[in-house]
Amino acid sequence: MPVVEIENLTKDFSIGFWKKHPVRALDNLCLEVHEGEIFGFLGPNGAGKSTTIKLLMHLLHPTSGTARILGRPVDSVSMHKSIGYLPENPYFYDYLTPKELLTYIGRLFGLHRPALSKKVDALIEDVGLERAGNLQLRKFSKGMVQRIGIAQALINDPEIVFLDEPMSGLDPLGRMDVRRIITSLKARGVTVFFSSHILPDVEALCDRVAILNRGRLQEQGALEEILKVRIEGHDVILSGWTEQHLSDIRQFCDEVRPMGDRLQLRVNDPQKMEGLLSFVFSNKLELISLNPIRPSLEEYFQSLVGSR
Amino acid sequence: MVGRILAIAGNTYRENIRDKVLYNLILFALIMIFSSLALGQLTLGNESKVIIDLGLSGISIFGMLIAIFIGISLVYKELEKRTVYALLAKPVHRHEWILGKYLGLLFTLLVNIAVMTVGLALAMLYTGGIQAGGYVRLLPAVYTIFLSLALITALALLFSTFSSPALSAVFTFFLWVIGHFGADLRSFAELTKSAPVMWLCRVLYYVLPNFSAFAILDSRSILRGTGYLQSIDPWAIWWATVYCAIYCAFLIALGISIFMRRDFK
Amino acid sequence: MKSDRGGQSGKTWLIAGVCLVCAILIKPVQDRCESRRSQSEPGPDLLYFSSPGAVKSMALGYDNLLADVYWMRAIQYYGRREEASKRPVRYKNLSTLLDITTTLDPYLLDAYRAGSNFLAEPDPVGAGQPQEALKLLDKGIRVNPQDWRLYYDKGFIYYLFLQDYRAAGETWLEASKLSSAPYWMAGLAAMSMSKGGAIEVAMALWQRQYRESDRADIRENARNHMMSFQVAKDLWTLEFLLDRYRAASGSFPPSLQELLRGRKRKYATADPSGIPYDYNPQTGAIRLSPQSKIRYLKVPEAYKEHLRLTIND
Repeated sequence: MPVVEIENLTKDFSIGFWKKHPVRALDNLCLEVHEGEIFGFLGPNGAGKSTTIKLLMHLLHPTSGTARILGRPVDSVSMHKSIGYLPENPYFYDYLTPKELLTYIGRLFGLHRPALSKKVDALIEDVGLERAGNLQLRKFSKGMVQRIGIAQALINDPEIVFLDEPMSGLDPLGRMDVRRIITSLKARGVTVFFSSHILPDVEALCDRVAILNRGRLQEQGALEEILKVRIEGHDVILSGWTEQHLSDIRQFCDEVRPMGDRLQLRVNDPQKMEGLLSFVFSNKLELISLNPIRPSLEEYFQSLVGSR
Repeated sequence: MVGRILAIAGNTYRENIRDKVLYNLILFALIMIFSSLALGQLTLGNESKVIIDLGLSGISIFGMLIAIFIGISLVYKELEKRTVYALLAKPVHRHEWILGKYLGLLFTLLVNIAVMTVGLALAMLYTGGIQAGGYVRLLPAVYTIFLSLALITALALLFSTFSSPALSAVFTFFLWVIGHFGADLRSFAELTKSAPVMWLCRVLYYVLPNFSAFAILDSRSILRGTGYLQSIDPWAIWWATVYCAIYCAFLIALGISIFMRRDFK
Repeated sequence: MKSDRGGQSGKTWLIAGVCLVCAILIKPVQDRCESRRSQSEPGPDLLYFSSPGAVKSMALGYDNLLADVYWMRAIQYYGRREEASKRPVRYKNLSTLLDITTTLDPYLLDAYRAGSNFLAEPDPVGAGQPQEALKLLDKGIRVNPQDWRLYYDKGFIYYLFLQDYRAAGETWLEASKLSSAPYWMAGLAAMSMSKGGAIEVAMALWQRQYRESDRADIRENARNHMMSFQVAKDLWTLEFLLDRYRAASGSFPPSLQELLRGRKRKYATADPSGIPYDYNPQTGAIRLSPQSKIRYLKVPEAYKEHLRLTIND
């Protein structure tokens, strides 16, 4: 049985004083999330991802349609005992310390000391905030707030967590941490539903994805089937080069840019890529990095939906 | 359910106590109470009466300001800063959130009033000449002030579920002022010769919060020797409590129903 | 699966129910609050600044409105005469209240008239401060010198509460010279100065007030006074007759019927509400029956002497 079932979920927002011009933020969304998987909810900004999650959390009332989590309707407050939620751009009471916040939230779940404090300490360690355990939240950086946000979403050992843009505003280290946490959740059997507009994150983690654009579902399914995104070329960075190598290298590449002891290359043809790589290895040059170039998600959508 | 409400109440109280603006207001109130000592000197022998009257008025007015301030900013802050989002995704009913908030606000008020009352008692002690009974009789007077503050807080809470803080503050203050003339509204209804005006006044009298119902005790109930000691009528206090409870229940119920239907965008 | 949909609408009904119950209860509860609250005298929130000048300067131009508020509160408390018997009314602050009211709005005629009435009436119906009442009326006359009613009230107080028939007559005479004065004012002045002390004049004054006042409580009060005078007249008359009977026969008559047997004039043996007067043959004492529903207000003894002269039976 799917852990999340969304059927024809629609949300209109009324604009204007007399509420005359409804804006359709979500249009007949139908979605399923299976147990134990990491589900990515993709879409550009304004697609309706946050709206969907808020509808699932019963922060918004749907205009029509239904949604069920763990078999129960979303307006069932008791269902919330089994789920976790990290809001977009989270903000928590800044006069509290992480320990106090987690203890407070734990009490709302009916957890008591001493089990509660043990759990709180474990969670703080899990998200890497041990050193800030007694600091007031107002002194936290964005990354730290995000981490405590994840912690509060997990305090009740949920069966499924909903993370709204969990990577937003994080530095690379932070994002790595979040990725690690998400994968460890999956290992524990927790279903993860997270939304993002950043493609690499989704690619790295998800089993299945759904793509939302302007309130409508574009695609839904396993990652490999959906993301047939064209790779336009590769960015390569080498070091240890000399002037002699340059003329050879140029025949493989479309762009060559020297940067001190490094060389930045752009190779569009995948065939030429092979040639470049064998040249690099046979000449004992050092390969610093190799990155595929993809269009942005916005460009991808444009290709998907044609011109608008 | 009670556990969750109490947890929210406790958190609300903790938030307020750590709020620096609150301390400024209390400081002002204490300053006022102590400056009444200076004023008392001017009245040549009537110092105790002046101090108690000014002190009680100060507690009432500053209590009102605190009640409006925390009642409005607290709910508004939660909605504005979206701290409420994470909370409502927990197994917390929306009505539990409102009730918990209200109780937390009441408890904060209680503590603030207690601090100010202690300040007043100290001022009275400094003036001297007041018997122990006077200090005890201070409590029912402060209690009636607390009742009026509970009502103001409920009003502020209700407005802040749907209105901006500036408007909420203005409405609440406005109702507080008008509410003090509640008894006069009733008198006016009895005296006027025009029937539509009479009905209007009567309807307003019952619909608007009647703060004059709480204005039953003052220095005459506390001090002996200011002409006569007006005895404290326990029934008046009882009915004032019942009125406060009923009106607050109505306001909170309304606030809950608005909050339940609200979209958190 | 358990659905909260039903719970949602159930909650709505609950909230609607709570609101309805509260709305229904508000009126009776508020009324109770008011009735208990009004038992205490208007307090320091009004009288804190007992100097009229101070109040006026703080009124910020809303003088008339504030005067109305003061006046309304005053009559709410003092004007409820029928309740005055149920709870003690204190008049300590009345003259200050009235002073402030009339300073804020010197043309609030009702404040002078009804106010002086409350002040002059003796305890427990009023403050028992006729001098204060006169001062108030003088203040009113200074500002409204052409209003004959203030002079009339002043004379009223002199006559009925101070028994100063001369002063009453002089005041009424002055009033009769005003262009707005009614035709009977001069006659009243004359009657006061010549027949001052006669019960008939007092009764006539009360009767006029009863007919002409537009305030129910003042009318009620006038009626009580009228009936009290009637009772006093009846009782004193009977007392005089009893004294003469005893002087003639050596003992009191066994009953009132015996006393009145054979007399040509009709004398009342029951009060105006029909309850017979209480007569004790042993002591010869005659009084208003305890069962009587008449609210007896004390009539000054001075009228008794005047009455004695008229009885020649």
